[in-house]
Parts: sequence; structure tokens; C-alpha cells
Amino acid sequence: MHGLVRQSVTLLLMQISISSISLADDNTKFIRFSDPSLMQGRVVWMQNCKACHAYGTAGAPIPQYPDEWRHRLTKTRIVLYQHAIEGFYGPEDTIMPARGGNPALSDGQVRQAVDYMLALASYYMKKMNTGLTK
Amino acid sequence: MKVKKLALTIGGLMATASISTAVYSAGDTVPVKAMADALHLVMDSDRTIYTRKIVNRLVKKDKVIKASEHFEDEKALVLPAQMFRFGAELVQKRMEKLPDVNFSYSLQSLWPVNKQNAPKTKAEKEGLKFVAENKGKNYYTEETLGGKKYFTAVYADTGVAPVCVSCHNKHKDSPKKDFKIGDVMGGVVIRIPIGG
Repeated sequence: MHGLVRQSVTLLLMQISISSISLADDNTKFIRFSDPSLMQGRVVWMQNCKACHAYGTAGAPIPQYPDEWRHRLTKTRIVLYQHAIEGFYGPEDTIMPARGGNPALSDGQVRQAVDYMLALASYYMKKMNTGLTK
Repeated sequence: MKVKKLALTIGGLMATASISTAVYSAGDTVPVKAMADALHLVMDSDRTIYTRKIVNRLVKKDKVIKASEHFEDEKALVLPAQMFRFGAELVQKRMEKLPDVNFSYSLQSLWPVNKQNAPKTKAEKEGLKFVAENKGKNYYTEETLGGKKYFTAVYADTGVAPVCVSCHNKHKDSPKKDFKIGDVMGGVVIRIPIGG
């Protein structure tokens, strides 16, 4: 019986530990910018965009990989907003679903999420350019 | 886990080896994990290209044909997941004539529309649970089935398009109806017999 309890406690501690690592990892990779609008954008992004953009699912560009953003950052913000709101077919026949597949998101929320992802991509681009990352 | 060597010649893996950090010589054996990863890379890339260059382009972009689970009745394209399954079935059939080649793969889910695609072994159940809860990570283990030992790898299968998610959420036989784009909806299970 004691063994079972000990095993359960150990498993619980392991789960808490894994969750903590995961949260810490998120806080490091997905920076909390001080700008209130970007903070709001981060909330929307984490709930709706992270599932694909954090892992490159279906060709989604990952903010931490500057090479995937160089040509995207040359587009105007209006174009990027439009792609995110209306959906977009990429040159390699990839699909960005309209509103990230969540029709309940308002235009303003999508724009905030785009702003956050652009800020994140720009941050990692700048970091690479200044030699802070390899 | 101690890496097991699989007695397979490497002809089919030369292209992969030449662009990765692994370098093999003729006559070498390939670690079983690398073999499973290579197989999955080919499967996943083929399926991705089918999804993008056939389904996305013709169905979504050019709108000249639709893709449907009932592709014969509706004169439609097969769904990417169906193409994957048909490939797995053909591999099993063709392998009967290739005694030196021995592996199996399948697309499974903890929430299958078709019950025959539910996990059966403990490793399959644990692996599917692991990849669903640990996005971006694969699951590797060994299991003994019918007195034979196998290396079993499980890779996440993610819902990448609105149609994947909406079809599962609306399907009468689907046990889970709240999938979102980007969710892990199942997994590819690759099983390779090993010695010992």
C-alpha cells in the first residue's frame, strides 16, 4: 500500500515537474513583450496559432527560425493581416486557414496575433543578426 | 535505451544518409531507431506532398475536384489519410515476396472513426497517449508479441487542415468532436522485428 502511495506521489511530482518545464520553456521561447497589445496578441497566439506555428505543422513558419521569415517580413503588414484573416495559399501549395481555423476570432484579435508573431520573428531575426544565436 | 542494430543493408537509405549527419558504409547495419525514423520521413513527406500538390491545389485552390471518404461513389480524390492506409496495405502485400524486408506500419488513433484503427497493444496505447500529450516528440519502445520482439515507434499525426478537423468533429462514428487545427489526432505506428 505504502509502495502504491509512494508511486502515485512520485508520478504526480513527475507530472508537475514536466508541466513546470513545459511552462518555463513556453515563457522562454514565446517572449512576453511589455506592450499591452502584444501581450493580448500573445494570449490569442498561444491559444490559436501555437499548435501549428510552434512546430512547423503543415509548413507553418516557426518564429524562432529567421530563414522562414526573411521574405515574409518584406511584405506589408496589411497583406499579412489579410492572409491571416481570409486564409492564404502559399507558393508550395501550403494552406493558412482563415483565422487560424477559428471563425470565432475577430479581425482585431487576428491582427493582434499577427503583430505578436511578427514581433517574435523580428526578435529572433535580430538576435541571429547580432550573433546572439548560432 | 541501448541502441539495437538492425541487420539491413543500406541501399535504400543512401539518399537520406547523404544529407544527414549519419554516414554509413556499404555492409554497415543501420540502428533500428534510425531505420524507423527514415521510414517515417518518407511516409510523412509523401503524404505531405499528396496533401499539398494534389488535394490543396486541386480541391481548395483550383476547385476542380473534391476529396471524399466516399471517393468511388463521388468520383473524388481519396483523402490523404486513406492514401496513407492504402499504401500501408500495399506494402504488406508486396513484402510477402521480399523475405529480407520485414516491418509494418499503420495509422491509429485513441479516437478512431473506424474502430479497427484503435490501438491494440500496450505500447500502441502508451505511444499514442505520449505523442498526444508531448507535442513535437516521438515515442520509442520495445515490445514482445507472439513470442517475437519488436522495436515500436509512434509518431504524431496532426490535423493540419480545416477539413481534417471538421470531418472528424462531424462524423457520426467519431468519439471525439472537439478537435482544433494543430491538434494531434492520432499517430503512425511503425513496428520492426528485432533480435534478442
